[in-house]
Amino acid sequence: MASLRIVLILLFLAGINLTGCANVAPWERGVLAKPEMALDPNPLQSYMRSHNFGSREAAANTNATGGGGGCGCF
Amino acid sequence: MGADGKQAGWRSQRIASGCPSRDIQSCRISTKNKSLQALTSAAMVLPGLMLQPAQGAEVDADSFGFQYYRYQEGKRNLYNVPNKLDPIMADVIHATGRLSLTDRVKFNFGYTRDTWSGATPVTSAPLAANGNRPILQNTPSGTVVSGASPTVNNRVLLDRDLNPIARDPLTGEVLGKDTRTVEILSFASPEVRNAADFGLGYEWNEAALHIGGGLSVEPDYESSFGNVSGRLDFNQKQTSLKFGLGYTSSDISAILDDDLVPYLTRDAFADQIKNRDGSEIFIGDRQDFTANLGLTQILTKQSLVDVSIGYTHSDGYLGNPYKAMSVIFVDPATLSDNPDALIVGDVRALMEQRPGNRNQLAVSTKYVQHVSPLDAALHLDYKFSYDDWGIHTNTFTMDWVQPLGYGWTITPRIRYFSQGAADFYDPYLITQQAFNSNAVDASGREIWVDSNNPDVEYFRDDNFNLLDSNGNIVDESMLNVQPKIIPFDAEELPDDFSSDYRLAGFGSLSGGVTLSKRFAKGIKLQAGFEYYTRQSSLKLGGGGGTSFSDFDFYVANAAITIDIEKLNFSDSLGGGSSGLHAEHDTQAHQTHQAHQHGGALPAGVMNGHMLHKAGEFMFGYSYMHARTGGDILHGDNAASDQQIVTQGCSDDTNCRFAPSYMNMNMHMLHIMYAPTDWMNLMLMPKFVDMNMNLRELEGRPPPQPGVHEHSGAAGHTTGGVGDTVMSSLVKLFNVPGHRMHLGLGFSAPTGDSGLEFRRVFQIDGGLVHFGMQLGSGTWDFLPSLTYAGDYRRWSWGAQLNGVKRMEDQNESGYRLGDIFQATSWGGYRLTNWLSASVRGIYTVQGDIHGDFNDFNGRAGPMDFPSNHGGQFWDLGFGVNAAVPRGKFVGNELSFEWLQPIRDDVNGYRLERKSALAATWRYHF
Repeated sequence: MASLRIVLILLFLAGINLTGCANVAPWERGVLAKPEMALDPNPLQSYMRSHNFGSREAAANTNATGGGGGCGCF
Repeated sequence: MGADGKQAGWRSQRIASGCPSRDIQSCRISTKNKSLQALTSAAMVLPGLMLQPAQGAEVDADSFGFQYYRYQEGKRNLYNVPNKLDPIMADVIHATGRLSLTDRVKFNFGYTRDTWSGATPVTSAPLAANGNRPILQNTPSGTVVSGASPTVNNRVLLDRDLNPIARDPLTGEVLGKDTRTVEILSFASPEVRNAADFGLGYEWNEAALHIGGGLSVEPDYESSFGNVSGRLDFNQKQTSLKFGLGYTSSDISAILDDDLVPYLTRDAFADQIKNRDGSEIFIGDRQDFTANLGLTQILTKQSLVDVSIGYTHSDGYLGNPYKAMSVIFVDPATLSDNPDALIVGDVRALMEQRPGNRNQLAVSTKYVQHVSPLDAALHLDYKFSYDDWGIHTNTFTMDWVQPLGYGWTITPRIRYFSQGAADFYDPYLITQQAFNSNAVDASGREIWVDSNNPDVEYFRDDNFNLLDSNGNIVDESMLNVQPKIIPFDAEELPDDFSSDYRLAGFGSLSGGVTLSKRFAKGIKLQAGFEYYTRQSSLKLGGGGGTSFSDFDFYVANAAITIDIEKLNFSDSLGGGSSGLHAEHDTQAHQTHQAHQHGGALPAGVMNGHMLHKAGEFMFGYSYMHARTGGDILHGDNAASDQQIVTQGCSDDTNCRFAPSYMNMNMHMLHIMYAPTDWMNLMLMPKFVDMNMNLRELEGRPPPQPGVHEHSGAAGHTTGGVGDTVMSSLVKLFNVPGHRMHLGLGFSAPTGDSGLEFRRVFQIDGGLVHFGMQLGSGTWDFLPSLTYAGDYRRWSWGAQLNGVKRMEDQNESGYRLGDIFQATSWGGYRLTNWLSASVRGIYTVQGDIHGDFNDFNGRAGPMDFPSNHGGQFWDLGFGVNAAVPRGKFVGNELSFEWLQPIRDDVNGYRLERKSALAATWRYHF
């Protein structure tokens, strides 16, 4: 799992790096707080889409909080 | 970060959670710091502005959501025969809720119900093997191909290079090389999945922790899962670090297809297959461990980025017990020396074999950019995943979220996906050995065995006498002697193999659009459509070579979300400039509202509620579970099996089966709106599923060849969208203590009334029993008259309602009987939030008019029109809880247990056991 270790290190470094450079003050985040700027603006649809794609494709996920999707046997 | 910063974070989070009206005073008092004051007032002006963790807006909003979607596949190409099987279709309802129990403790739940059925590939094989055998039908205009029936064991001709050779299916004439592959489809009976999950979260100022778990239940697959996830915010919440861990444990208990089992080679799983009630059941289990780590970072005032990595380890049975691999056995002994001679391949279906573990790694990045000139947001996603099965995938998604004003938002999206094949994927395999061969001893003599005692070997002499190992003649009249068979050598096949098209190499393109409208009261309606096409040729870096598996699907969805935060926020804003006054006004209004809706309405009463103020909304959900089982009644007496056999069906048909039980689940949504104070409009979509099993009647007539027999452990299941009711309620009078209203409704036949059983053992199943169809199939008129009264703690009411079928017959040639129901109830308020009720119900329903206009199995009383309807008496016991004030005011939850007292049925019918009704209503 060398690749996992590398990605983790990169992620950590990226985190430190980004912490250093960004400076958007709280009162400058009006645009970021708009509903369309949410990381997932349509969670209900995302649930549906990931279920559909998951039962028709063999890709892995980056979300650990799901689970128990059934066998998708159809 | 300094103490000030921390405090700012905490305060603004209170604002972020809508600054519930009861907390507005404390919010105001503690706003000493000027910048904080500025921030607070900005937040009041612009409800969206809040100091969020970096992952964006509205993650913590208290809300309820409900969505319905339909997944519909297109027909797959079978090349030489028409595909008449309905492709896979799934109806899904999905409800979620997120509630703040305190400012810091959040509770969430979710519920999903899927029903699906349709034709799906079992395996793939050379087209020349004719795996989809044409079903011929004689019609006045000659013999036509009416469909295809799957045959997984076949002979196929091959040339010396093992290329399949096509032959004319009728004349047998050799047509030449045909290397095309085709999927062999089998029809899956309807199946239902229920899943529920719950979670509890705790929010700190700059961190969050969430634990969750749930259960997903299908007849053949049960999984339970748990997870823990968290978030750390730092750098003034410009950066969020997220992590999650999850574990899923699944048990598989799959009833192997009775129609397929005789042709399915399942030796590799012999110790995992059990016999039960004449069916073979595959038993397996699997575990999945997941871990993920992510980072969200605000880049500029208008953009943010999210990077996540996920790892999944799975072990156990990771295959699909319904999928097989076609293996062509070429017996070297049959090869002739002539290089032009064709080879006969023996095509067999083996249960697929996948590795016992899998490790998957995925990395995804998401970039969100606000496009100021258009006030839109661009979402770009890319995901790469790789696993040790050799599958690598790339996914690109682009969403454009465009607000249009007046609460409307349109989101077009496009997605491209590509995956490489699993190492062990093949459309079919060829092996150079015989599937079975007769055993011979060292001297070349054929070995025979007694099937009752296979360890003792026998031989035959030239006169076909049976000899034991010492050469003595044996009397075989008492033995069951057969040649000793040696099966193929599994070692010569790969360890793992699968022809599941989902493990093949392919690409896909999909596009869709979502339209949503946000209303002032925090309600959001949403509708979406997406079309997906799988194309082998779209695979990244070259074609996947599996174009025979190409298919397409579309998904249409409709959703409603109710944002409780928005609701309270706007209420308190509307209440005036003073937070205290706002609180008072809101409460006064809401308490008033709660009173106005009167006493306890039992959960099972439909159309019993009216909104009395123009502009009010009600959103509700009802669940009803009804069980029948026990005796078959004739009138109000239990009938004997013999009586049912001879009299329960028709004059010229004896009954063979009777239902042993039938359960019905119905989910109903109520969306109600009061355009004026004297009339309400209501829309009630329904989603139903039913399951039933049959028992063989004693003294039944013997099975006939060509007639569908019910066999095996599996019962019948149907499910999907039911009929949709649209109604209006008209107020007749409303004086203190007494209310009466008239309901005029129509039921639209959106539920299927032409469901058919799948073809089993080459025999058509025909139309499913009357009582298992999802809808009436006719437009129905639903009048009702409701009176309700209350005095102090007491409440009472009565309702007359009916169903009048407005058409003579539905698509299947019959119509259900009309219904009349009278009910009355009394209730008592135990506390200011809890009341109890008792109810009596009388129902009369006519029998079915007309009859099936297409083939039906006529297996038992449930298949005959005169055995439906009757008179029914029930008692209902209910409790009703209503939230009288506070944040969740307007929520009402009620349950009612319905106990049958007496049944007087038409003809022969299964006795009713009990029913449960549960209703949640929310008015605002």
